[in-house]
Amino acid sequence: MQVGEESALEVLYARYAGLIFTLALRIVGDRELAREVLQDTFLRCWDGREAYDPGRGRVPGWLMGIARNRAIDLLRSRPHQARLREREPLVGLVSEPAQRDVADSVTLRLAVASALQELPIGQRQAIELAYYGGHTQVEIARELGEPLGTIKSRTREAMERLRAALWPLIEAKREG
Amino acid sequence: MHPTENLAGYVLGALEGPEKIRVETHVATCAPCASVLAQYRAVVSTLPMGLDPVTPPPEAWAAIRAEARRRRLPVLEGAGTRVRPNWRWAMWPVLATLVASLLIWNVVLQRELTRRAPGPAPGPEVEALSRRPGRLVILAGTGQPAASARLFVAVDGGGHLAISGLTPLPRERTYQLWFIRTGASAVTGGTFRVDARGLAWVKAPVPASLDEVSAIAVTEEPAPGSVSPTGHHLLEAKTWR
Repeated sequence: MQVGEESALEVLYARYAGLIFTLALRIVGDRELAREVLQDTFLRCWDGREAYDPGRGRVPGWLMGIARNRAIDLLRSRPHQARLREREPLVGLVSEPAQRDVADSVTLRLAVASALQELPIGQRQAIELAYYGGHTQVEIARELGEPLGTIKSRTREAMERLRAALWPLIEAKREG
Repeated sequence: MHPTENLAGYVLGALEGPEKIRVETHVATCAPCASVLAQYRAVVSTLPMGLDPVTPPPEAWAAIRAEARRRRLPVLEGAGTRVRPNWRWAMWPVLATLVASLLIWNVVLQRELTRRAPGPAPGPEVEALSRRPGRLVILAGTGQPAASARLFVAVDGGGHLAISGLTPLPRERTYQLWFIRTGASAVTGGTFRVDARGLAWVKAPVPASLDEVSAIAVTEEPAPGSVSPTGHHLLEAKTWR
């Protein structure tokens, strides 16, 4: 039983650690903090503190949700360390050897990157400040000096564009 | 009234207070909004996948494993020995569900990759593809609206095409990729077939510089392919970066 549990955790780690570390690093902008997020995420699974609810999405999305919340908590608690890359471009963050990918992942990665690049800058900012910066729409409006209604519209329009571009690939991957 | 202006913000975690509660209350009883929310959630979950992947430090797993083992050990408390609460029984169903989902997903993914003829498993070449500078061309379904394709063109001219949503064809028909040049004949990028789910992942030689090409298209042709396009454009791109 003990060996089986640890091997289950190792399977999860082998599959998702790269994605979670990449996400954490994008949010906190610091390798040590990103490593802390990585550790916290898997240990929360281990401890059973985070219950997996299939109704809220698939395993990768669930894990990334835990990681993102933890990273944003760190971002807010250690601003002097962690706001280094808050406004960095989405792609080209660091030049390190990529993990081995399969055809699906590369296609999706290219598709997501291009879909984001094609967004008007204001829409892209609204998405990135919310998702990677952990900001509320009120905070985003204040930071950009825009009306709240404008930020809501931009966010909705951006999400609709992303959905149009990515949903066929997501659906194709699920049906596979 | 549907909170359409707030669904995206909700999924991004950018709402708070009464706005957030209103969305949660509404989607609990509105199937269309709940469906939109689920799709938004799926889209948001792909955002990190658009980042260039970064490998965790190699010592990270050892530290996690060591801490996981430590949390399982019994501890001494006061005069006696008190065993740490046995989390295994709470944790095992969670991990079992996760591993079952992962294994199912892996089996399905492996099956999909195996079905993606022709040619060898794409692993090493896909990894190389991900590192090569190049352009990404998005083909929209002009003749088949549900279809879409992504053509990745490396700077050295090699290409890979990922297709979804095309109808599987009988043996005597095939799909063909075209590079259409202004004032010159179209150049073929090869033929391909999709699997039963309308998916394909193929190498696509790019015989012409994209700077000389006015459009990239996919047509249906008689097998084993045509010298020039005879069918309508099922997928097409006229602009790219």
